[in-house]
Amino acid sequence: MNKVGSRTPRFVRIGALLGVVFLALPIIGLFNRVAWSTLWTQLTDVATRDALRISLYASVCATVLALVLGLPLAWCLARLHFAGRRFVRALVLLPMVLPPVVGGVALLGAYGKSNGLLGGVLDTFFGVQLTYSLWGVIIAETFVALPFLVLSLEGGLRSIDTKFEEAAAVMGATDFTRFMRVTLPLLKPSLMAGLMLAWARALGEFGATITFAGNIQGRTQTAPLAVYTMLESNPEGAYALSFLLVAISVAVLVGLRDRWIGGAAQ
Amino acid sequence: MALPIFVVAVSAPVHAERIDAKKTTITVSAAASLVNVYTEIGKQFEKANPSIKVRFNFASSSSLVSQIQSGAPTDVFAAADLTSFDKLLTSGNVVKTPKVFARNSMQLVVKPGNPLGIASIADLNKASVVSLCAKTAPCGAYAATVLSRYGVVISESKITRGVDATATLNAVSTGDADAGIVYATDALSAKKSVATISIPAGKNVKAMYGIGVVRGSKNSKQAEAFISFVLSPAGQKVLNTLGFLEP
Repeated sequence: MNKVGSRTPRFVRIGALLGVVFLALPIIGLFNRVAWSTLWTQLTDVATRDALRISLYASVCATVLALVLGLPLAWCLARLHFAGRRFVRALVLLPMVLPPVVGGVALLGAYGKSNGLLGGVLDTFFGVQLTYSLWGVIIAETFVALPFLVLSLEGGLRSIDTKFEEAAAVMGATDFTRFMRVTLPLLKPSLMAGLMLAWARALGEFGATITFAGNIQGRTQTAPLAVYTMLESNPEGAYALSFLLVAISVAVLVGLRDRWIGGAAQ
Repeated sequence: MALPIFVVAVSAPVHAERIDAKKTTITVSAAASLVNVYTEIGKQFEKANPSIKVRFNFASSSSLVSQIQSGAPTDVFAAADLTSFDKLLTSGNVVKTPKVFARNSMQLVVKPGNPLGIASIADLNKASVVSLCAKTAPCGAYAATVLSRYGVVISESKITRGVDATATLNAVSTGDADAGIVYATDALSAKKSVATISIPAGKNVKAMYGIGVVRGSKNSKQAEAFISFVLSPAGQKVLNTLGFLEP
């Protein structure tokens, strides 16, 4: 750290400081607009509570769903050589670069009841309508969060030396045991990082959600949608909810970091 | 373990607007329901006034009021109601009372073919999801007036709130909302993607559109020129073609 060759030049330090200020100023600005005396009243308002409940529930479900779909996908991308792998990777990356609203329109094209490829079938045969439902919120959030998990896991799987897994196999471990006892512990840091990124992305989702799942208070209105909707009608409520979202995110990120990421990074 | 970092190098050509000493750019913040008509008027205005370039900022009138109040550089403001101007007059962001340049009304839109058999606003509770504008947006206030004139109450758990008039229509035309209360002009521009049920004049609203110069505009002369053009026969012709009524 203190070796002469690796000393950090001053301009780098100044750049980093500017970066910190750039990121911190809006947060301070947000806190500055929070009406602290009415904070509790605002946060216990029905619309706010509904939005928080929906946001937390949907973002956790979306993260789980992203894991269920993302782990096998990441595995295949990292370890299998198959035709069309580059195509699959591009497909996985797409929701990351796509404007979320476009993602919402695309989801409507697939699962919309009236115009979707699959939505009509789902409605006719199973009576399932994803749009304007909590499942719609979860689907929209999963769609945008999945790439973060896949890329993180793929990177993690690539960096694992397969000789440990081979050794376990030679010693007679079943596929499942080998995965649980060898691969998973080695994968844990990137898994946790990926889950965190995916959850954060799901929690903050706006465009795909409002386009695909609508903005129904108590049904599909997530916290970001509530903030946007309230910004004009009830700015104090919007700032209070924003503050709480920042607090929750910070708490979760710090908590997870200390427990998993930080420990593994040492 | 470092978080994977993905660096995407984008070599986007910077679209610097060519700095033309003779050209003045004015920013017109206009209600979302004016997208089509103002885009066309803007084209004609630029043709008639080669020295002026018009840049549009479309959103709900209430969002635009907030933007202007927080200092967004705007030369002209065009709103779907006159209440928005009252707010700006109170906050001192406009000085003169607005000029009324068009009138609009509300209509009920449903899915093509009207599968739920909704005949009027009174039937709206047959719909499982109704698309309405945000309460603060003029179209949201107009819809609330229409509903109250029918004595119809829709549970908030069935209402999806569009951020502006366009989003509210899209929920029915491309999304899965069963019905929506939108501007007559928007219903007209949606063509076949929705079926329209008109609301009789007695229970409808007269949505008055106002336009005015925003205080602090550095191009108030050009801003006035744009407003005159909107009020001129040429501007009114475009408005009429797209379904707006004379004020």
